Order: sequence, then structure tokens, then C-alpha cells
Amino acid sequence: MTFLKVRELKKHFKDVKAVNEINFEVKKGEIFGLLGPNGAGKSTTISMISTLVHPDGGDIFYKGESILKNPKPLQKKLGVVPQEIALYPTLTGYENLRFWGNVYGLNGSLLKQRIEEVSKIIGIKDRLKHQIEKYSGGMKRRLNIGAALLHEPELLIMDEPTVGIDPQSRNHILDTVLELNKKGMTIIYTSHYMEEVEYLCSRISIMDQGQIIASGSKGELVEIIKGNKRINLKFDNISDTLLGKIKEISYINNVEIISDEVAITTNNGEAIFKDIINKVSETDSSILSIDVKKPNLEEVFLHLTGKALRD
Amino acid sequence: MLSIIKLRFLRLRDEYLIIVIMTAMALGLTAIFGTSGLSIYRPTVLIINEDSSSYSEMFIEEMERDSTFKFEMSGYDEAAEIVDEGKALTAVLIDSDFGESIDRGDTPNIGILKVTDDRYIFTLERLISSISNRMLTNVRIAEITVGYLENFTDINREKTLMSIYDIAEESWRYRRPITVNREMINVDGNGGYDHLKHTMVGFSIFFSTYTLVFSIGTILSDRQYNTWQRILISPVSKASLLGGSMIASYIIGVFQVGILILGGRYLFNVDWGSSILGVILIAAAFVFTMTCFGLLLSSIVKTYSQLATVTPIVLISTAMLGGCLWPLEIINSRVLLTLANLTPHKWAVEGIKDIAMYGSGFEAAITPTLVLAGMGILFFGIGIKMLRFE
Ligand SMILES: Nc1ncnc2c1ncn2[C@@H]1O[C@H](COP(=O)(O)OP(=O)(O)O)[C@@H](O)[C@H]1O
Ligand SMILES: [Mg+2]
Repeated sequence: MTFLKVRELKKHFKDVKAVNEINFEVKKGEIFGLLGPNGAGKSTTISMISTLVHPDGGDIFYKGESILKNPKPLQKKLGVVPQEIALYPTLTGYENLRFWGNVYGLNGSLLKQRIEEVSKIIGIKDRLKHQIEKYSGGMKRRLNIGAALLHEPELLIMDEPTVGIDPQSRNHILDTVLELNKKGMTIIYTSHYMEEVEYLCSRISIMDQGQIIASGSKGELVEIIKGNKRINLKFDNISDTLLGKIKEISYINNVEIISDEVAITTNNGEAIFKDIINKVSETDSSILSIDVKKPNLEEVFLHLTGKALRD
Repeated sequence: MLSIIKLRFLRLRDEYLIIVIMTAMALGLTAIFGTSGLSIYRPTVLIINEDSSSYSEMFIEEMERDSTFKFEMSGYDEAAEIVDEGKALTAVLIDSDFGESIDRGDTPNIGILKVTDDRYIFTLERLISSISNRMLTNVRIAEITVGYLENFTDINREKTLMSIYDIAEESWRYRRPITVNREMINVDGNGGYDHLKHTMVGFSIFFSTYTLVFSIGTILSDRQYNTWQRILISPVSKASLLGGSMIASYIIGVFQVGILILGGRYLFNVDWGSSILGVILIAAAFVFTMTCFGLLLSSIVKTYSQLATVTPIVLISTAMLGGCLWPLEIINSRVLLTLANLTPHKWAVEGIKDIAMYGSGFEAAITPTLVLAGMGILFFGIGIKMLRFE
């Protein structure tokens, strides 16, 4: 029986098709990634899975049972780390954790022990006595995660848990996710950061404009753009004549300027270097470096939608 | 549910200042306005004296000692006209054989011209009968004493009668039968409008509404903190979330109103009347109604700061209508008095005043309590319907 199954799930806000009849499945013990740009419909999907928002259509099955008909079994076993910090700013870290523990039926010495363990996991033990409005952004994010872990959920949903924090906290969070998964927790991880999803997830669905446009393991997804190469070139100076000359090469699909580099995609890897060098020599620019990119989800997204994942 | 109640008390840290300020305001403003001695409203009662004996004059003198009413002398026709126009509450007609009746030991005939307001007429009737009974008793005492004295010595009957009457009357004045008969106290001093009491009741009711609305309003700040949504996806049911929040607000409200009742008693020496239980019942019902009202307001506005903007306007206008800020006794407009019936404040203030001011017993608490409970349930029902659970 599938652990979690999403069928024809739909949610429209007036004329915005936030989630438009999507299907996917999450297997027990995996880290499932939902990758997509801002506004793709990830949070709306998460809200429906976590029983907060009622879908306009479709259904969600937890261990074969519809959560729309009976949300309680899932609610008890579910931990959600919402995209926005959902904590009481004037309470201390400890009081917040104690409250969220209470909410999941934890009390007394068991609760105390769980707070101890969770604060170790999120690495925040020495600050628990302080009001969280005095915490840094990264600390709040960590506590936001901690609050979802107290009752040792079977399924943990994390909605962009690393947005707007320092690299150190971010790495800590990513390691925590792997650690939790190793202990058997099933995780749904949403992000618009391709690297995070690539690093963490065994299976990924790419979402855009309320729809899932591709699903599979990272390897399977990269297969989609097989033969497509991305090459980044650095020049001493970039001019319109230079770009014009490069565009003359017939098998170059796309030319883009990304900061100080010129990025090109092509499906012909053999003759490309010779042609580029020839064309550039006709201008007064010269090449400083050539960097052939390994194909990644960023390119998959670009290939499928014609736009960059990040704005 | 318990976790939610615990949370609300924990979060008092953010709000306790409102409660302290509102309690202090109620007590402070009562101290300023309630004891300033300006008694706004004393209904005018005309006296038509057709008797020429000295008893009627004594009777009038006694009446004028009572501070509930303002007495003015008048002729019969003139009085009828004034009362008809509503410029005076009523007129008291002292019959021409008033003096003789007293002398005979008969209950004198005193007419009351027109009944416009049950409560005041009732008070006036009690005042009249208490004074005339006293006069009769005094005359009786004087006659018995004089009759007794006459057995021993030759005395000036008229003069002695008068002076014994005076002595008897004096002794009533300083030894009122306060502890003997509650009814008598009410007639003598507790049966009429008392500005300090009105202020105490009105301000307590008014300022407690702030605490009540804002403490249930924390569900809006929950939504702002996103914790509302986080609770909703937990195993805690919506009923527990709302129920717990309402119970916590209710307890906080009862606690505050309790402090105000005690504060009135011990700071201002307010006598809450013969049925403190009735007063507490009405207050408890009012706290319930306003907690539900707070829920309704919170379901209409979107954010806590919108609530903070709307609440004072709503609470001040309902308090004005409901007779918290000035007594409804001075309002003549039918429209305003009808509107007042729609405010919970009116039922609470009038109900408590009935007991604490006008000497009614526990039974006076029943109607206001039922009306308040009904209003509360209505507010709760609409509030629940409109509240967003997403
Ligand atoms: N409550 C709402 N009311 C109206 N539109 C909404 C609401 N929530 C989300 N949307 C819209 O639905 C789309 C998907 O949003 P969201 O699920 O938050 O995307 P993501 O989490 O992938 O960034 C967006 O266009 C957003 O503006
Ligand atoms: Mg989102």
C-alpha cells in the first residue's frame, strides 16, 4: 500500500489555478522533493496534505485511507514545518516547544526528554531560555523545525525550510534532514533551490504553474535533457557583435548572459569549441575561460519551461 | 483543550497590561466621577398640601430629607398640568384631614397623582408610608406617655405632646432600625438613585469589555503568527481550540470583574445589596456574552490591529447606549431606550442596579441573566459561522 498518494488534487483561488489536478506518490522511508519556482503551488499542495486547506477536487490517501474523510490518523503522525515561522514570539524557546508538545499529547517527563532530544538535534540547547523574538533568523528556522519533531512524526513535511538564512544554519538543516531520514522518517521537502533537492531527495517532482511537469529520480530527470550541454564562457569584454557572432552558430539553441558570463546550450558537443573560437576571433574580444556544466535540474527546468528556476 | 488554556494564560504576558490598565481605569474613574457628589438625576415630585395642621408640615419636612427626589410645592391644577407634560414624575396629594387622621391614629390618606415609572413610584410609596407610619407611631408614643404622666402631675398637654413627639422623632433619626429590617433601610436611604453606585457599575461593565474582547482577540494574533494554522493541523480539534480560548478569556474576565466588585466594596464602600449572588450571576453572564461578542468581532475583522481599531468605537458606542457612562434614568427618548435593550451592557447595568441600588432580591437577576445568555449564544453562533479556519 502506498504511504501517501495524491490524486487529481485541485485548488483554485478565483482565477489562479494554484494547484491543477496533480498526481504523485510518496513511499515510506524516502525523501520526496517538490521543486518549483515561487508561486508554483508547492505551499498550497502542502496545505492540503496537512489538512489545513480543503481541496476543490481530488483526494489524498494516507496508508490507503482518504484524509478528507478522516484526517485524525494522519494528523497524529504528521509533523509540518511551515514556510513561515509559526511560533509565539514573546514566549521562550522552551515554552514554545512545551506548548507544541502538549498539542501532540506529550506531557511530563516524556515531554521533557523529547525537548531535550529535539533541542540537541536542532542545535539550539543553550538558547531555550530566551524569548524567540530575540533569536536570529536561522535560530527561529531551527526552532520552527524542532516544534514539528517533538512527537516523532512518521511523515515530516518541510516547506522551504532554508529560505533567508545564513549558510551555516542551512547546512545544519540539510544535515538534520538526512539524519532524520536515516532514522526512518519519511520526508516531503519543498524548495526552489535545485541544489538542496538534488542533495537530499531520492525522488523529485518538478512543479510549475500548479502542475507537475516532470517526476522521477535525479538521474531520470536529467535523462530528459540528455545530449543537451550547457557551456559557460568568460570574455574580457562582452559586446553585441560578440553575441551576434555566437548566435550565428546554427546548433546553438540558446544564448544568455548570466552576470559576467555568456551561457549557451547546445546539442552538439563535438564541433562546438572549434566554431566558437573561430567566431570569437572575428571580434576584438578574447576568451578567458570555458566551463562545460554537468547537467542538473536547473537545466531540466529551463529545458521544460524555457525559463530559469530562480527569478 | 488544556494545552490551549495553558497557552492563553502563558500569553497573558503580552496582554496583562490591558487588564491592569482597564481595572485601574474603572476604579480610578469611579473615584473621580462617582464621589464628586454630582448626582445627575433626581426626579421632581410635586406636593399638594390641602391640610393646615402642623403634621402635614412635619410630613413634608421629612419627605424633603430624602435625597432620591426633588420636592416642590404646588397647587392641584398646576400640578396636574406639570405632571401631564412630563416635567415632574408625579404629585403627592396630602388630604385636608391629614392632621386629624394622625391625631386619631388612622392611616392618613395620601394620594399619588400619576404613575409613570414603576420603580420610582414604588420607592416614593414606600417613602410615604414609612414616614406616615413613623408619625403615627410617634403620636401614639406621645399620647401614651402624656396619659401616663397625667396620672402623676398637672402638665400642659399640648406642649408636652409636641415635645415628646419631637423626642420620639429624633430617636428614629439616629437609631434607624438598620439591622432589624432590610426593607426599612431600602426605604430610608438605599431605595433611590445613587450616583457612586451607578458609576461603579457602569465603569466596571464598560472597562471589563475591553479585556474580554481583546483576550479572545488573541486568536487573531495567532493567525498573524501562523500558529493558528499550525494548531489547526494538529490533533487538537477546532472545538478544543475555540473552547479552550473562550474558557481562558472567561476566567480572565471573571477574575477582573471579581476584582472590581471587591474593589467597589472595599475601596468605595459600595453596598452590593441584599443578593450578592444575583450580582455575581449577572456579572458572570455578562462576561460570557462579551466573550462571545469578542469572538464575533474577531471573526469579522481580519487582523489584531484591525480589531484594536474597531473595538474602542464599538465598545464606547454600546456602552453609551447601554447606560454605562450615564444612567438611562435621564434618557427620555423612546428610540434610545429601545436601542439600549439591544446592548448587553444595559441588561447587566440595570440588573445589577436593581439589586444593589433599588433593593431587589435574587429574582431580579434572572431575566437579565437569561437575556445575556441568549445574546451570548447568538453572538457565538454567528461568530463561529464567520470565523476562518484556514
Ligand atoms: N490564499 C490564497 N488566495 C489567493 N491566491 C493564493 C492563495 N494562496 C496562494 N495563492 C496563489 O496560488 C499560487 C501558488 O502559491 P503557493 O502555493 O504559495 O506557491 P509556492 O509555495 O510554490 O511558492 C500563487 O499564484 C499564489 O499567489
Ligand atoms: Mg511556498
